[in-house]
Order: sequence, then C-alpha cells, then structure tokens
Amino acid sequence: MPTIGLPKALFYYQHSVLWENFFQNLGCRVVVSSDTNKQILDSGVTLCSSETCLPVKVFHGHVHSLMNRADYIFVPRYTSVRKDEFTCPKFCALPEVTLINLKKQVKLLTIDINANSSQKNMCISLREMARELKLNFEFAVKEFKDAFDKHANHADGIAGRLGSYSASGEREPSIAVLGHPYMIFDEYINMKLIKKLRSRKLAVYFPSSLNYSQIRENAFPYQGRVFWEAGLDNLGSAFTFARYKNIRGIIYLTPFACGVDSFVTELIERRIRHISSMPFIKLTIDEHSGEAGFDTRVEAFLDMVGRT
Amino acid sequence: MKVTFPHMGSLYIAIKVLLDTLNVEYVVPPFSINSLEAGIMNSPEFACLPFKLTLGNFISAIEQGADTVLFGGGCGQCRFGYYSDLHEEILRSMGYNARFICVNSSNMTPREVIQKLKPLAEGRKSRVILKSVLHAVRTILALDRLNGLACHIRCREAARGSTDKVMKEFHSSIERIKGFKAVAELVRSTRNKLRSIELNKVCSPLKIAIVGEIYTCTDPYINQEIERRLGNMGVDVDNKQTISRWVVDHGIKKLFPFEIKNKAHEAGKKYINTDDIGGHGLQTIGNCILSAKAKYDGAIQIYPFTCMPEIIAQNTFGEIQKDYGIPVLTLIIDEMTGEAGYMTRVEAFVDMLERKRKLNPLKKQHMAY
Repeated sequence: MPTIGLPKALFYYQHSVLWENFFQNLGCRVVVSSDTNKQILDSGVTLCSSETCLPVKVFHGHVHSLMNRADYIFVPRYTSVRKDEFTCPKFCALPEVTLINLKKQVKLLTIDINANSSQKNMCISLREMARELKLNFEFAVKEFKDAFDKHANHADGIAGRLGSYSASGEREPSIAVLGHPYMIFDEYINMKLIKKLRSRKLAVYFPSSLNYSQIRENAFPYQGRVFWEAGLDNLGSAFTFARYKNIRGIIYLTPFACGVDSFVTELIERRIRHISSMPFIKLTIDEHSGEAGFDTRVEAFLDMVGRT
Repeated sequence: MKVTFPHMGSLYIAIKVLLDTLNVEYVVPPFSINSLEAGIMNSPEFACLPFKLTLGNFISAIEQGADTVLFGGGCGQCRFGYYSDLHEEILRSMGYNARFICVNSSNMTPREVIQKLKPLAEGRKSRVILKSVLHAVRTILALDRLNGLACHIRCREAARGSTDKVMKEFHSSIERIKGFKAVAELVRSTRNKLRSIELNKVCSPLKIAIVGEIYTCTDPYINQEIERRLGNMGVDVDNKQTISRWVVDHGIKKLFPFEIKNKAHEAGKKYINTDDIGGHGLQTIGNCILSAKAKYDGAIQIYPFTCMPEIIAQNTFGEIQKDYGIPVLTLIIDEMTGEAGYMTRVEAFVDMLERKRKLNPLKKQHMAY
C-alpha cells in the first residue's frame, strides 16, 4: 500500500486522530511531517506569494518536507465543519493552491468537507480518492465512519489533549491563550509561549478547554448566526474566560494580516471591557518576528497582570 | 429620519435616486480626507480598506445628522457579510447611535427587498418602493454603460482630454440634480456629447481587463482613477467588476425560475475546483481566463490589502499566465498607497505590453471599431 503524508499544520491540530486512523484503517502507511522548524518555515515562505498568511506558508513548508517521503500527500478541503460555520477562504482552496505553489510536483489526495451543503460533494471526492488508492468505495466509507467515531470520542486531537490537560486546577493563577489552533499549538510559530507561561507557574487555558455549547452561547453577537468557525471559538472563549476568577489575562495570538482575526479581536476588544476588567493583549506574528521582541511584550503583559 | 449610505463609485447617484423617489431625507457622506481618517483611525488595523472607508462615511454622515444607515450584508467566508455588525459595534462604542438597515445581498427576491426597505418608506405603498428600486437599478445600469462608453472613447479620441472634459462636467452637474428623470436626461445628453467626440481612426489601442475585488475596481477614489489614467495612456479598459454586473447577477438573474450561471465564476472553477471561495475570488480567476481567450493584451488585478479571496486568486495567476499567455499585474491598495509608486507600476506594465505587441505582430490586433 502507498505511503500517505500528513502535514503537521493547519487542520492537523484538530483532526489528527481522524485522518491518522482513517488512512491506517485503509491499510496505508502514514508519515507525519516533523514539528515546524526554520527549514520548513523558510521553504514555505519561498513557495508562497508574499501576501499569503504565515500558517499557510508553514503548511506549504510541511508539504515540501514530505515530498520525497510519501507517495501521496493529504490536503483536505474544509469549507464548513458545522452547519452555518465557515472556514476562511484559504482552507477552501487549499488543495489547488498547494498544487500550484509546489509546481505540480506532488500527488495530492483530497476530501471535500462541507457540512453546510449536501454530502454529495464529499462522497464524490471520497470516491475519487478510493479510485486513486485502488480501494473499494464502500470500504472507504465504512473506514471513514469508524475513524470519525474514534475522533468524536477522543477530544479533538492535539488541541483537545492540551486543552484538557491544562484546565485541571481550578484555583491556580492562569492565562488564557486564544487564536487559531494552528497558531497556539505550533511550538515554533508561537515561540514556545505555552512553555514560557508554564515555567512561570501559570496554568494555560485554550478554547479547546471549554465545551462546545458553552463557547457558542457566549459568542456575542453571533449566537446562532452564520460566522467563521474559528471566529466563533475565539469570541465565545474570550467572553467565557472573562468571567473566570482564576484567569489573570488573555493573550490572543494572530498571524500578520489575518482577515478573520482582524474582526474577531476588534469585537472582543470593544466588548470585553463591558463584561469585566480582564487584561487583553493581541500579539501579531509573522515570519520576521523576533523572539526577543515577542518575549518582551509577553513579559510586560505578565508584569502588568501580576500587579492588578 | 435621516438616512445615510456608504460610497462606492457611482453607487451614490443610484441611491440618491432611490431615496428621492421614496421622498426620504438623506445625507450623502462627504468626500473628505477627515472622513477617511476617522474611518481608518477607528477600524481594526488589518480590516480591509472598504471597511475603513465605509466606517469613515458613516461617522461623518452621522455627525451631519444622519440616524439610519442603509447597508448591504451577506454571509459566508468573505468579511463583507460581517461588516455591519462590527460597524454597529464600533459606532456604539464611539457613542453614536445609528439604526442599521441591511439588505442581504446573497438572496434578494423583490419581495424581501421591499420588506427590508419598508421601515425606510414610512408607510408608503409597496408599489412606490418597487418603483424606486427599479429606478435605482435603471440608474446604475445607465451610469455603468456611460462609463464603459467613456472608456471606449477615451483611448481613441483625436484630441487628448476631450472625454475627460465631458465626464468632469457630468460629475459636477450630477451632484446638483435630483430625481430619476433629471439623471436619465443628463446621462442621455452626456452620451450624445461623448459620441460626438472626434476619434483617431487608425489607432489600435491595447486592451486591458480590470479584475479583482469589486469595491477597489469600481471606486475611482480608491483605485486612483485607474480607468481614466489608463485611457489617457491610450489603453482600452474593460472593467469586469462593475456594480451593474453585480446587480444583474444578484438581482435580475434571480428573478428567473431557472439558474443562470455567472460565466466568469464557472470559468474560475478550472483552477479552484470548489463552489465558492468567498467574495469575487473565483470571478477574478475566471475573468482572467476569459480575457485571455478574448485576446486581451493584459489584465490588472486590484484588491485591498488583506482581502482573503483575492489572495487565493493571486496564487493561481502564475499558472494562468503560463497556460493562457496573458500578463497579469496585481495592485494591492491600502491607506498607505502612494500615487507615484502605484502609477510607476501601471506605466511599466503598459510599456511592457506595448513592447510585447511589437515583438508579436502576428497576434490579432484590435481595430478601431
């Protein structure tokens, strides 16, 4: 059976369990790219147009690093994961953009995920994938369902694991870190922020520490309305954490020029002061960010938080 | 009640006609640097430029006494759908209280539009509302046709500047007049004036398509009058993203019981195989392909900095240029865009296209008519 490469970027942080299990059940060998490092970042930056955001550049770097290690690289198309919740346009066009930017030198496998329309497109894409791998379509559907059940029982991948671990102590002083999962859980992109916070004896909360309904209830002003999925997660978490007594401050990590975050952080900043006096800082990261400057800002924020 | 609305190219003329027919009081946001700066100062840093400018429009109009905002809305991946919520939030936290009336742009049946406009019309009959909407639609169609004619004449005129003179006169007198009849009359007389301009019969101008994000493509203030400037360099400009094309796609085509697909949108699926990537991303790709097939000399993509769908479109251009041989220039606009640097790039692009044409004389040339 062929080897499937899973890039450790973007969707991987939430859906690693699903895709790893799915391909293993199909009988394929799965290779996951290594953690993000300088080489991966640099190759991603050279492959993409300069306007592309940092996480997508990093994703390209991961795909590039898998090029010679796998027969196929898996790049799904996430349009919508839940009803009335959309992803950003970069996710909708990810397979094509990756293929074009890598000069068509890789073979991709893709699945369309769109919870907002009928399952027809998903079935078509799954059928195509099964044909490419020379497998029976019904078998692929069955294995997908199995993998999906496993994913649903298992808190969502890395994001879920870290989230549940961190939210253990109820009383210890904590910091909430918000942002897209691929920003806050990638140790290279977040400049080891989580480790730095823990070394200062602070517990860390993430959006994945909260349960789904709690987040959606507090996602002002988009309760029950159409919005971006990541936007709802962060809006809801910010307003939920604002009421937690043991949380000292909220850090929002955003990649430079992120369209979704530009609206979400503004909505949080304008509203959070009406709910509580929770300190809130937005840290912007791109491929030119230096660790020293980043650390200085984090330290200054923590000093300020400690004083209040 | 005093209504205001955002600027977007010549849209304000059509909305003026709409509100005049409904006999509603309104404030046209002033074109001023202060209004722009107020918008930029109070917006998130990475919001796209249209957001900042429309916020600026609202702030200055509210300061002049407006209390109701007429705006569009939508949903999905593009940020435009969520503009009005954030506008409201920002205006409220600045201490302004304005009511928003949002006409949802993604599914506009005539009945829904009338329902949305009811609170504006203050008890007037649905028939009057429908009439005012029809007048507004006819105005915008006529204005865009006039602008297209001006683009066609400008690059072929015998004496440089004659088209600009007519259009300048048109723009200064349109601000003074009211009502559908007067506007239609002015458009007609301007059209006749344009047609009487003497043309240079032997020229074969370069043909360039303007593609990209609709606000930056249609608003001459934002794109630094790219249509006029290119025209004066002797380039025939075809703006693929006009408000009237949008109205036809989202309003008129929806009236039919069957689906009429947007050609550019379908063509764009060749490179991004999905139904929608938000905004006009797929149309931008499709328009580039269609322009190449129609033997245009080049295409210029314009979009505001951080626009998400257009970044995707831009990523595919390398492949399109290779497959179809059409050169594409991408211009990204934000509040820091300087005129000199911007025009240098446009001029260099036009020079390159001219040179390309000289080197390939075999390529079919556009005749004067």
